[in-house]
Amino acid sequence: MNDHARTATPWLLIAVPAAVLLVFFVLPNALLLSASFLKTEAQQLTNQPTLDNYKFLLTRPLYLEVMLRTLVVGLCVGALDVLLGFPLAYFLVRTKSRWKGLLIALSLAPLLASVIVRTYGWYIILNRFGVVNDALLGLGVMAERIAFMPSTGAIVVGLAHALLPYAVLTIMGSLGGINPNLEKAAMSLGANRTRTFLSVVLPLSIPGVVGGFILVFSIAISAYATPAILGGPATQVAATAIYNFMINLLDWSAGAALAVILIVSSLLLLYAAARMGAKRAAL
Amino acid sequence: MRSDTTAPWALLCVVVALIYLFSLGPILITAAVSFNETNRSLFPPRGWSLRWWARAFGPEWTQPLVFSLKLSTLTAVLSTVLALPLAFALHRHRFPGREAMIALALGPLMLPTLVTGVGLLQLFQYAGLREHIGFGALLAGHLVICLPFAVRTVSISLQTLPPNVELAAASLGATRWNTLRHVVFPLIKNGLVAGAVFAFIHSFTDVNLSLFLATPGEQPITVKILAFLEFGFAPTLAAVSVITLVLPLVLVAVVERLSGLGDFIYGERRA
Repeated sequence: MNDHARTATPWLLIAVPAAVLLVFFVLPNALLLSASFLKTEAQQLTNQPTLDNYKFLLTRPLYLEVMLRTLVVGLCVGALDVLLGFPLAYFLVRTKSRWKGLLIALSLAPLLASVIVRTYGWYIILNRFGVVNDALLGLGVMAERIAFMPSTGAIVVGLAHALLPYAVLTIMGSLGGINPNLEKAAMSLGANRTRTFLSVVLPLSIPGVVGGFILVFSIAISAYATPAILGGPATQVAATAIYNFMINLLDWSAGAALAVILIVSSLLLLYAAARMGAKRAAL
Repeated sequence: MRSDTTAPWALLCVVVALIYLFSLGPILITAAVSFNETNRSLFPPRGWSLRWWARAFGPEWTQPLVFSLKLSTLTAVLSTVLALPLAFALHRHRFPGREAMIALALGPLMLPTLVTGVGLLQLFQYAGLREHIGFGALLAGHLVICLPFAVRTVSISLQTLPPNVELAAASLGATRWNTLRHVVFPLIKNGLVAGAVFAFIHSFTDVNLSLFLATPGEQPITVKILAFLEFGFAPTLAAVSVITLVLPLVLVAVVERLSGLGDFIYGERRA
């Protein structure tokens, strides 16, 4: 294929897609980056360079709390999804059931629903007149109704539910690559089930577990819909705060700076994931 | 020794059943709530009525639904059309800047879509087109965020192409165009369809980007639902939610029957 190297063919092939990506992806993100270093006055972006936007975000307790909450939500959702995703992935990879295909499809089906649809069910379950309240009242556990939402806990549960398929898929990928004979070999050498699991299966599946955690974490910290529905003004996260800056306060600089902080943290994580070998080269 | 007859395996089955309940329960509850007689989203439903479904099929909801279908279909077609030459160039040619092009093509997958949405809004503002956001702006944004899905899927199908078929066709006298048309295209057709389906679903379920580029008259169904939520959770929403869930489900089932999607899911979703 060396004779292709010097021709113009690849350039012709990539010209249009590259142009679309440059104009509608690179340019907007560059604009956002530059806006984060510019001053906003009277709800208008000016040309004066400044670092005040970052200073503002990093000194106000309100926004420090927003960033901390985003981080905590991301960590909890990542941990919860790995804990729930691992047994499910292990089951789906190892099961000999003839319903295997259907079971895999069912575990991934939630991906076809918008996050909004997936979150709506949690509203029905958690609100003051919801399923959990009815059940606990019926059992006599509580004397009066409690609002389980808006709260950070509700956001965590809703996001963990919405993002579980990503963890399952990632962990299934690495579990699927483990030769089942390794387990048989360990057991024939006298290791019991627990020992086999802890010293053979678990170490070999670590890339998938780490990859799943990081993937879920990075989607969770930038999620908007679930925190908007299950949270409230007192439980803002990065995404809802960015929306608030941009649409309600018209403070482009602060919104852009918060977006840049979000991008940098999520890129650092994806880089860490790539370093740990959890990300497979796609092309 | 069969592993599925032992006690730990039985325990695992119980745990897995609970996880399925966690995963599918809220979606089933949403479906049940849409049959409420009252105007509140109660579960178990009180009474039995189809009036929320009748309302879900009224113009207030069908208009954004049709808008979403148009937007996602166009996005799916255009991103596959753009992904084909791009994936072809990346797969067949070694050229300077190839690595950068790969990073650029997959970039929208790495950055939060919310941020791209904000950036695009700013871009249209700078260009003096702030008043003209809506379908065009949404299409540009959706195209960009769905392109990586199409590029990945088409790349996977190019990789599975037997290496010598084109040489064989050429040695039998086929022109370059005929080779592409009659040999390469039929072999990668399933990949193209799968790429379009993934792009469609990613576009159809997006909220984070559309949020910033929608206008009251031109909004996808997800943004409409989100806006409506501020006024409360009527069972109409449950019915609408079920409709937006069923549409991609039917699409996937039909395509799976006709050409098969399964082979692409791993390469597709494993990030």
